Amino acid sequence: MMKNFLRGCLVSAFLLTLIGFLLLPQPGQTEDAKVHRLLVAVDNNMWATTKHIDGRLIIDNGRRVRELAMESWMEGVTRSYSVYKSPARERGTKMLKLDRKLWMYTPQTDRKILIAGHMLRQSMMGSDLSYEDMMEDEKLSESYTGTIDGEEELDGVKVLVITLKARRKSKTYQILKIWADPVRTVVLKEEAYAKSGKLLKTIEFKEFRLIGKRLFPKRMIFRDMLKNNTKTTYMFDEIEFGIKIPKKYFSLRVLKR
Amino acid sequence: MIFKIALKNFLRQGMRAFLNVLVTALTMVAVVFNLSLYNGFLDQAISNMVSTDVAGGHYRTPEFDLLSPTEWEDQTFKPSDILSSLPPSDKAEVLLLQGQIFPNRRLFPVQLRGMEMNQTLLDLPFSKLEEWDGPIDDVIPIIIGKQMAAKSHLKMGDYIVMRWRDRFGAVDALDAHVVDVVPMINVRLDEGVVWMRLDHLRKITHRENEASWVAVKNFQGAIAHMDFQAPEILLKDILDMIKNDRRFATIIWIILIFLAGISVFNTQYLNIFKRQREIGTLMAFGMPPARIVRLFTVEGSLAAISAVGVALFLGTIIFTWFQSVGLDISHLSESNIPIRENIFLRINPVEVVLTAVIIVAIMIIVAWAPVRRISKLDATQALRGRAIT
Repeated sequence: MMKNFLRGCLVSAFLLTLIGFLLLPQPGQTEDAKVHRLLVAVDNNMWATTKHIDGRLIIDNGRRVRELAMESWMEGVTRSYSVYKSPARERGTKMLKLDRKLWMYTPQTDRKILIAGHMLRQSMMGSDLSYEDMMEDEKLSESYTGTIDGEEELDGVKVLVITLKARRKSKTYQILKIWADPVRTVVLKEEAYAKSGKLLKTIEFKEFRLIGKRLFPKRMIFRDMLKNNTKTTYMFDEIEFGIKIPKKYFSLRVLKR
Repeated sequence: MIFKIALKNFLRQGMRAFLNVLVTALTMVAVVFNLSLYNGFLDQAISNMVSTDVAGGHYRTPEFDLLSPTEWEDQTFKPSDILSSLPPSDKAEVLLLQGQIFPNRRLFPVQLRGMEMNQTLLDLPFSKLEEWDGPIDDVIPIIIGKQMAAKSHLKMGDYIVMRWRDRFGAVDALDAHVVDVVPMINVRLDEGVVWMRLDHLRKITHRENEASWVAVKNFQGAIAHMDFQAPEILLKDILDMIKNDRRFATIIWIILIFLAGISVFNTQYLNIFKRQREIGTLMAFGMPPARIVRLFTVEGSLAAISAVGVALFLGTIIFTWFQSVGLDISHLSESNIPIRENIFLRINPVEVVLTAVIIVAIMIIVAWAPVRRISKLDATQALRGRAIT
């Protein structure tokens, strides 16, 4: 009986050792896990179930600068509603996104226009953003996997340079490169690349401030790197997270004068 | 006898007769010229479209619409064995997708058209693309038309960035090398179009063996899930345009014939007014009024008959000269009309004969209408010159 007990102990010890060995973090896994943890933390800062933004889009096409004031309400990645407040020409223009469809309402014509499918890839209001860029608000940690390229200093902050690869083939930007601050768990700069490796867009995240428990930038600067000397700045003048959004905002009935 | 008298009277009219003949002849020449020009225009446009794009028709998906670029990516298909097994002389596979180029770092939306290189069905000057044997990992060869080159400020040898979406929707971009700028006789294949090798376009968009349409030499029968667009359907807009233009041109022909008719009518009316005494004398000598009407009608009709001869003479000179130079329509290059070269007349003998017959018939009617009054004239009053006041 004692013999059996000893044998059992030995087998158990062996199995535990084996399981423990298998559970030991491998070098690659550690980095993946580290990147994933950082991306989750970044998402926790940037991403919320509901958001309300009172902001401005400053579109500089190299010859002329236009400023559009807008107010937006967002719920997850599927629903958002925006109203343009100025300039006079755009005042009253509304955009409603429901799943993969985007409706645009202009008071001048008093009509709703459905922007769907490939039309979402067109430039939004002449900016460096496409409708799709504006709508794609998916969590980085869920859309990409990453590897650390190294450490750099950006604006006096030590950051990790991480290359992200899309998990899905249908993701617009298959490769992203981010400059992430591991201490504050925020992204300071993002570069979007074509599959071929050509740089397409850059986004700079500026002036982080504490909103509740989140660090959120005050402005984001988008640059289409294929165009000459253009940039679009998205100013977040006011931002609220986790708010209750009236149901009527995500209904087609809201698209009227 | 009536003809002899009529001819003598006609010749005696001198300048008036000459002007009538000239106006009628020029009307005939103008109408025939106009008709022949439309024929030539239509022939050229159809020939250009057939040789460069339409061929003997297209097989496409039923939902494909060339005018809905945002849907092109969803309307590609893998050609069936019936189509893909056709020899290169009988079919040309084309893949059409949306893309963007950035000449001078400015956005320029384009159609990316991939064309099979071994096809001989369509006549397109893509030898430089065919010659390309390098990889396309960093640079991709493209060809553009002259009009596109002028609009985008590109020239042969330039490098530009080109952006597109692959089959999954991911955005991709590469440098494109303009290996040739070619003259396109079909302007629809020029403006806003970037031509690539079909294999290249398929590779960069992950659309192996896919096409937007297959141009064929002959109808291959009904194919499941495919629509056959016959040449008449593909050429419908140009045929409708010419038909519409002809309708408007008819108004001009009517005005021209009306003016020539007025000229003859006026001459006839003046004749019976001025020659009342002559009419009275003929009546007094016993010539029946009906015969006098016939005499004056023949006299008036001689202008139309002579005009046929003069028109033949003038037409031969004008048309021969025109066929040597053609009509330069380069000013239309901004429009969507698929012609670049000079256009020439195509004279249809049936149309020529018909035009001449119609004009002569109208002239005979207008020559007869005013002289009908003769049958009601009083001979004594006519002799005094007071029958018509």
